[in-house]
Amino acid sequence: MSPSSEWAEPREKHRGLLMLEEALQESEERYRMLLDGIEDYAIFMMDTQGRVVSWNAGAERIKGYTADQIIGHNFSCFFPLEAIEQGRPEEILRLTATSGRHEEQGMRVRKDGSRFFANVTFTALHDSAGNLRGFSEFSHDLSERAESEAKYRGLLEAAPDAMVVVKQGGEIALLNVQAEKQFGYHRNELVGQQVTTIIPEGFAERLLADGLRSTADALAQQIGTGIELTGRRKNGSEFPIELMLSPLQSAEGILVTAAIRDITTRKLVETQLLQKVEELHRSNEELEQFAYVASHDLQEPLRMVSSYTQLLSRRYKGKLDSDADEFIAFAVDGANRMQRLIQDLLAYSRVGTKGKELLATSSEAALQHALLNLRVAIEENSVLVTYGSLPTVLADEVQLIQLFQNLVGNAIKYRSQAIPHVHISAIRNDSKEWMFLVQDNGMGIDRQYFDKIFGMFQRLHTREHFSGTGIGLAICKKIVERHGGSISVDSQLGQGSTFRFALQESARKS
Amino acid sequence: MTGIGRGGMPIRVLLVEDSPGDVRLTREAFRDANQFIQLDVASDGVEAMAFLRHEGAYSNALRPDLILLDLNLPKMDGREVLAQIKQDAKLKTIPTIILTTSAAEADIATSYQLHANSYLKKPVQLDEFDALVKSINDFWLTKVVLPEQGHSE
Repeated sequence: MSPSSEWAEPREKHRGLLMLEEALQESEERYRMLLDGIEDYAIFMMDTQGRVVSWNAGAERIKGYTADQIIGHNFSCFFPLEAIEQGRPEEILRLTATSGRHEEQGMRVRKDGSRFFANVTFTALHDSAGNLRGFSEFSHDLSERAESEAKYRGLLEAAPDAMVVVKQGGEIALLNVQAEKQFGYHRNELVGQQVTTIIPEGFAERLLADGLRSTADALAQQIGTGIELTGRRKNGSEFPIELMLSPLQSAEGILVTAAIRDITTRKLVETQLLQKVEELHRSNEELEQFAYVASHDLQEPLRMVSSYTQLLSRRYKGKLDSDADEFIAFAVDGANRMQRLIQDLLAYSRVGTKGKELLATSSEAALQHALLNLRVAIEENSVLVTYGSLPTVLADEVQLIQLFQNLVGNAIKYRSQAIPHVHISAIRNDSKEWMFLVQDNGMGIDRQYFDKIFGMFQRLHTREHFSGTGIGLAICKKIVERHGGSISVDSQLGQGSTFRFALQESARKS
Repeated sequence: MTGIGRGGMPIRVLLVEDSPGDVRLTREAFRDANQFIQLDVASDGVEAMAFLRHEGAYSNALRPDLILLDLNLPKMDGREVLAQIKQDAKLKTIPTIILTTSAAEADIATSYQLHANSYLKKPVQLDEFDALVKSINDFWLTKVVLPEQGHSE
């Protein structure tokens, strides 16, 4: 071994010890800083006799002594006089030394003599050989918690809804006066009871995590969403409620605050509204059914009246006097008109009762079909019908044909002196709707009649000038409305008319 | 031209119809179309079957060359009458025409499924009704060749 190495070894050893000591000091410092940072808990250490050897900021705040004032003094000064006389401090140290840990709730005294209720935990400290070296104490001022609870309670009472705070096990921890009123209990009757007492189903189940998610996660998903459940009053009666949950972290674990709103009135209104809608729907259907049956069944006796007046006219015309001829003529004419009215009424009610499903339909093909049906009128009146490319829409094809036929037919019927020209076009209204225009150069309509013309059996002209019952545009309106759209007219007397109606675009491209 | 049936017998038509107004109208129309037609009338389904099967008061009833059958009848409805006629070996060869006001698709389909020989809707206008009866006479009672009576099986 060389001399240099002989000297080197102790020097290395010495340096290692120094480093270890420094590291220990450093970690102790860090530990102290950590403890000092805690203000909610008094944390300090004592020797085996109960003399204070360390002191944190929380201890200073809670008990009122600075570290300088208390280190070296016995911890018995934190106890009330009667406890000291009973030998309570010594007893605690003995219990802690035996069991290793002791927890209790009891009265403590601050430096200024004031008392407070505390939760205190003592732990015995041993060295590596197992010898008792001292004790640590963790204590918490419970009156502070009571104070914050009081604040929380004040907040609960101020809430407009019934509020119930529930522990994770489903036990009711707190409730406000609104909750007392709503459920008919005094709060003493509910605190400590299971929440199923007032909400039999659906709430307690939600408190339990499903195994994969934590309760907090499970609750987090339900925050802000109303859950509709049933509440049960003390007298056993039930009522609909809406529940809003929010989790609350506390010393006792997660508490759940439930805001409970009585939605009896809302439910009632909802139910009534639904009933009204249903009634309206049913009465509409009944009305359509009535119109259909009435006009259908009226046809039979009317056929008799009409047939026999015609038979009378055929056999006895000119054989009775001129009055008889005139009377028979009126009877025949009346019966014929009634027949047309009934047939039109039947056609009108069929739009609702016999309508087919709305399917992707080529409006251009429907128009061409309508023009084919009108070809005699078109040829006889030398009508010019023009149209551009027309889209595929969601429609009942038979009804779409009828719609075009009625509108183009009207344009021909109510033509002006000029050669009739009808132009049909469609423009995209928005992303899903096509606006159809049927424009003519006919006689036009006075503005005051724009709404009237779509009514049932509304006519602007005498029967001598124009035949028909006035059902055509009413049928158009009903067809368009059945397709979810509306129909309107724009016109000037002598300048022609433009009828507009909107139809939904078909998802399928033409 | 028309009028005398096979073997010099008059042509017989059985009209099954409950409305007296319709019976009279049909009678008038047939009188105009062919004066040699003998029109018998049954006013409900039960009466029609009794007539066809020579039962009770109808023991002397003669077999019709053609049956005009309304669908909506008292006691036994026209569909049932049609079904019974077409299941009866003796009766099924008699042409049976549905003559009704109903234009319901279900009625039309049911009638043909029950082997109606044709389905006609009563027109609303008298002139059209006359024309229809005339065409029945021209086709079913004039042009159509039917099996000899008694050789229907």
